[in-house]
Formats: sequence, structure tokens, C-alpha cells
Amino acid sequence: MENFTNETIDTKALPRFEAVQLSPIDPKYWRVILISIIGFFLLGIAIMVTLFFLVEEEFEHKPLLFSAYVTVFAIALLLSRISFKKKAYAFRTHDVIFRSGIIATNTMVIPYNRVQHVALHEGFIARFFGLAKVEIFTAGGISSDLEIPGIAKEEAENIKQLLMGKIQKQL
Amino acid sequence: MESNFNQPQRQSLVGILVIFLEMIFQLLKAMWPIIVITLLKANSLSVLIGSLTLLAVAVYFGVYSFLKYRNFTFYIDEENEEFIISDGIINKTKTTIQLHKIQQVNIKQNLIQRLIGVYALDVDTAGSDKKEGNIKAISHDLALALKSKLLENEGKKVAVSEEEIAAEKPEYQAIPFLKVNLGSLLKIGITSNYVKSVGLILTFFFTIYENLHQAGAEDVISTEKLEGFVDNNSVWYSGLLFVLIMFSVVFLINIGRTVIKFFDYTVTKQKGSLMLTYGLINTQSTILKPEKVQIVKVSRNYLQKKLNVLEIKIRQAISDEKKDNKSLIEVPGCNAFERDEILRLLFKQVPEKGVMMKPNFRKLIFSIFLIIVLPLTVYFLFGKYVEPRVFEYANVAVFFAIFMLVLLFFGFRNYRLFVNDNHIIKQSGAWDVDHEIIEIGKIQAITTSQLFWHKSLNIGSLTMHTAGGNITFHLGKFDKINEYVNLWLYEIETSNSNWM
Repeated sequence: MENFTNETIDTKALPRFEAVQLSPIDPKYWRVILISIIGFFLLGIAIMVTLFFLVEEEFEHKPLLFSAYVTVFAIALLLSRISFKKKAYAFRTHDVIFRSGIIATNTMVIPYNRVQHVALHEGFIARFFGLAKVEIFTAGGISSDLEIPGIAKEEAENIKQLLMGKIQKQL
Repeated sequence: MESNFNQPQRQSLVGILVIFLEMIFQLLKAMWPIIVITLLKANSLSVLIGSLTLLAVAVYFGVYSFLKYRNFTFYIDEENEEFIISDGIINKTKTTIQLHKIQQVNIKQNLIQRLIGVYALDVDTAGSDKKEGNIKAISHDLALALKSKLLENEGKKVAVSEEEIAAEKPEYQAIPFLKVNLGSLLKIGITSNYVKSVGLILTFFFTIYENLHQAGAEDVISTEKLEGFVDNNSVWYSGLLFVLIMFSVVFLINIGRTVIKFFDYTVTKQKGSLMLTYGLINTQSTILKPEKVQIVKVSRNYLQKKLNVLEIKIRQAISDEKKDNKSLIEVPGCNAFERDEILRLLFKQVPEKGVMMKPNFRKLIFSIFLIIVLPLTVYFLFGKYVEPRVFEYANVAVFFAIFMLVLLFFGFRNYRLFVNDNHIIKQSGAWDVDHEIIEIGKIQAITTSQLFWHKSLNIGSLTMHTAGGNITFHLGKFDKINEYVNLWLYEIETSNSNWM
């Protein structure tokens, strides 16, 4: 008890999470996004073309429909690009920081001593590029779970090991 | 039976059958109308197509079940004390759960599993709604062995808590710590839940009207009679009468509901936890453990302030979805003194309103735009281009606009965030003013959010995630928010506070 002190914390001198240099996700992840979007786009085109040829008299304004479709996909592509560019993460000594968003910038911070468990997810396309997604779960339900996509497989494994080590040390 | 779980292993081989049958059952559940219709209208061609489809589906499900079974493995990593589950055919997921984080292991059996004679094993940790680990087919012995292995270090804890419960029992007849009398319940009944009751009444009337209408009994409540009544008296008079009747019914329903639900509301203190009993028809009793409390919400409106009553809602950590409705505990009708007593019990001190944070005026402007400007624009455009007759109700629109403006203004004026050393209090609401209180140590994660055009204005939002829900504060000073987040992170990360 004699050693107990309770000094005022200088809030200005605390490490600042907003100033941390975040590392962007793997550039190869953009190809994963591209492939899935283009896949969807081609599927839609295929359905459209089949419909146009099979039941031709049913559809008017074919060029209009087509260009509307292309525009929607162009916008989707643009938004995904912004979202991809925005995603970044950092692992500090005591917490993990993840930034995301399209028009807003959301920064989520989870202290390691609040992590419940960790999962490593490998999507079908991402696996071809050797990428994995680290999922971090807390007790706060879905809104406070974190998914960091586009991390190289070995790095993701390392991150998982690091996280598991960190969780254990806390108890 | 000593089983070794150190090597990745699959489920019982019959697991293939379990997965397969479960898929078939799900398909039948979703598709049975189509299947029945096809069978009824069957001719030889459709029977052929149908059976071919069925065959294809069966083959697909069979292959899928086999691959699913092949790719599902689980094992315990003794060295790191982890339970590891790998799953997925195309998308692969590897879930790692630390043994000491496991809260529950349930061994279950559904109909299919009972027919085949295997068991399912669910592993559950705190928080997230879905089951973290779910083994679909495992023999009973193996399930028991795995369960005891998973809960090995949990074993002591469980035993202790059982002893505690046994020790607590004799104290059951403790002195009531708080008793809500009928008067307070009546006060609460009169002064709260208007919107909910109006909704109930409206649904009630519409259901009755619809039923009568369908029964062909229009004579009973002939619309002509009603119209005649409205014509004879002035519109204002009948409107007033309607509102009066509505209000008295709302009052009666509210009072009835509150009294029936919360009659004889008693709070008893027993060894650090609270025991709540209430109810006129069925007596409910709930145990409330202070360390499980995540968010405490104190609500009071203007009338309740004058009558010195208020309501408290307490959110606990959700650990089991079945108990979800039990995670919300209501204390109706206590006074300011009793509120402080309860808060002191839950937080060990009465949380003070510390440093105040105000939202930016853009929050008010944005909500005015969303709730008043946008609907009125739609109304105006609709009247101008589609149906000019809606302009006959222009006075309703004006009333709506003024009413909402007043509500939004008061809502904005009451929107505050208070921060002190241990607690965060969010105040909000226009008529019912809510104070949501959380302890900083209960925060699980923090999100800050900023729209890109708000960057230069230095405003942004803050969300605090707890195991009992989120608290969000919109459009505060962003540098101040960040400063607080850094402080809170420091506090959370340097102490090992027990959050549940």
C-alpha cells in the first residue's frame, strides 16, 4: 500500500491513436475486389443479353437499360476503390486500430484485453493471391467485431499468433 | 475413456449423414409448397424433370456434405491452451478460442441427431450472437470428454459459484431495499409510453374494424352514422372529442399495463447482488449482478420531474441469446433519492456529470432537413404534380412542421455528453430526457467517425461499444473526442477491470 501513488495523467502526453502511421492493406487485395465485381458484372451482362435475345419484343430502350447498368457498376467500382484505399490497420502494444469507410472515415480501436477470440478467414478468390482476412471478436456483439481483409497469409498467421499471445498475457 | 484431442480430428463419420439430412430438411422446409404443387399437377414430363432435379440436388448435397465433413477439423492446442476449429470448403475459416474464454459448452441433440445416435457440441464465449464453435456429430462419450477437457480450468470457478449460491440461499428473506408503491406506479402509468399505447390502440381498432368488415357486419358501425355525426357537429368539435377519448383510453391502458406488470415491485439486496420481484398476475423475479451491468438508462420527462418519479432501465451483458429479454431490467417509478441509492449500489458511487460536450449546430440543421424539409418537399411535390387535393390538409402539415421543430430543438438542447474520471453519461431526448451511464472500464471497443467535409470543421462522432449495446454521440468537437479516446484507451489498457 505504501507504494501506491495516484498522480494526475497528462492527457496531452498520452500516445495518440489518431496520429499512428497505419499500414495499408495488401495491394493485391484490389485484384480480389476487381475480380469479384467484374464477375458480377459479367453475370449480369450474360443474363441481360439472354433476356434481350430470347424475349426481344418485351424490352424497349435497350441501350438506355444497358448504359444505366454500366453506370451503376462504374459507381460501384469507384466506391470500392475509395473504400480499398481507405482501409488501413496498425497493431500497437496494447490495441489494434482499423480505419475504413467511404464518405466517412471510421477508426475503430480494440484493446487486446477485450478480445474474445480470433479467426482467420480465407476467401476463394483471395486464396489465389495468398491473402487472408483476420477476424477479431469482442463481447460487444457484431458492431464491435473487426475484420481486416487483404493481409498476406503468413503475416496474418503472425498477427493471429501475436493476438493470441497478447490475450493470454492479460490474465 | 481417455481421449486425446491434441491432433486435428474430424467428426464422427456419420456426420456426413447429419449434414446431408439437415440440408434436405432445410430445403424441404423452404420449398414444400412448390413441391406439393408440382406433385398435384404432375404429368409424366414434369415427374421426369422433377426426379432428375431431385437426383441432382441429392448428389450435390451428398458431395457438399462429404467435403464439408472432410474439411471440418477440431483440436486442442495444449501448449497454447487453445481450441482450434477449421471449417469451409471454398472459403476457409480457422477459429481460435482460448480455453479460459470459453463460457459454456452445450451438448445437444436434435431429431436427426437422435435418429442417428450422435450429439452436437456447441462452444460459446461471451458476446457475439452466433455460436463460435459448433460440432455437428460426435459420440456421447467423446462429447463429454471434450467438454470436460474444454472446461478443465473452468471447473474450479463453477464449483465456487455454486457454493456461493448455496450460501446465499438462507438470506433470501432480506429486508426490501426499495419498494415501489402503487402511487408511483400510477404516476409512471400516466406520464409515460404515450406513443406505444397510441400504437396499440390503433392496431386494436384497425383489427376490429377489419374483422367486422370481413364478417359483413358493416351495419354495426355504419360509416354513414359516423359521417352524419361529423356533419352535424363541427369538425373541430368531433376532432376534440376524438382526441379526448383517445387520451383517456391511453391513460387507462397505460395505468393498467404498468400496474399489472410492475405491481408490488420489490428490490432486495443480497450479498452484493440485487433481487427484483414484481408482477400482479405472474410474479417475476430476476437477479441483478452489479458487475454484469453495462448500461444504466435513467429517463424522466417534464411531468415526471414535477411528480418526482423516474424510470431506470439496466442493460446487462448478453451471454446467452435465450436470456436476451432478461438482459434488460426495468425499475419503474422510483424517486431521485432511490435512484441515487441504486446507482451507488451498481457503480459504488453516484456518477457525477463531469465535463460537458455539446454537439455542433449542424446536428440540428441536419435533423430538421431530414425530418421536416424532406417530407414537406415530398408533400408539396406530390400535391403540385399528382394530387392537388392533399393541399386541403395543409394545416396538418403546418402543425407537423411546428411540432417537429419544437421537438427537434429540445432534443438538440438536451443532447449532451458528460465525461468524468470513471463514467460517461449521454443525455438525450426531447420530451423523455434519458441519461445513459456507462463505466469506462466496460467499454469493449471505440469507433470514431468523421465525414470528409467535417474534417476542416473539426467535428465528428464517437461510438462506445459495450457488451450491453452501443452509445453514440454525434458531431462533437473531434479533437476533444480523440483526446478522450486516448485517455480511455490508456485506462482500459493499463488496468484489468472486470467488465462482466
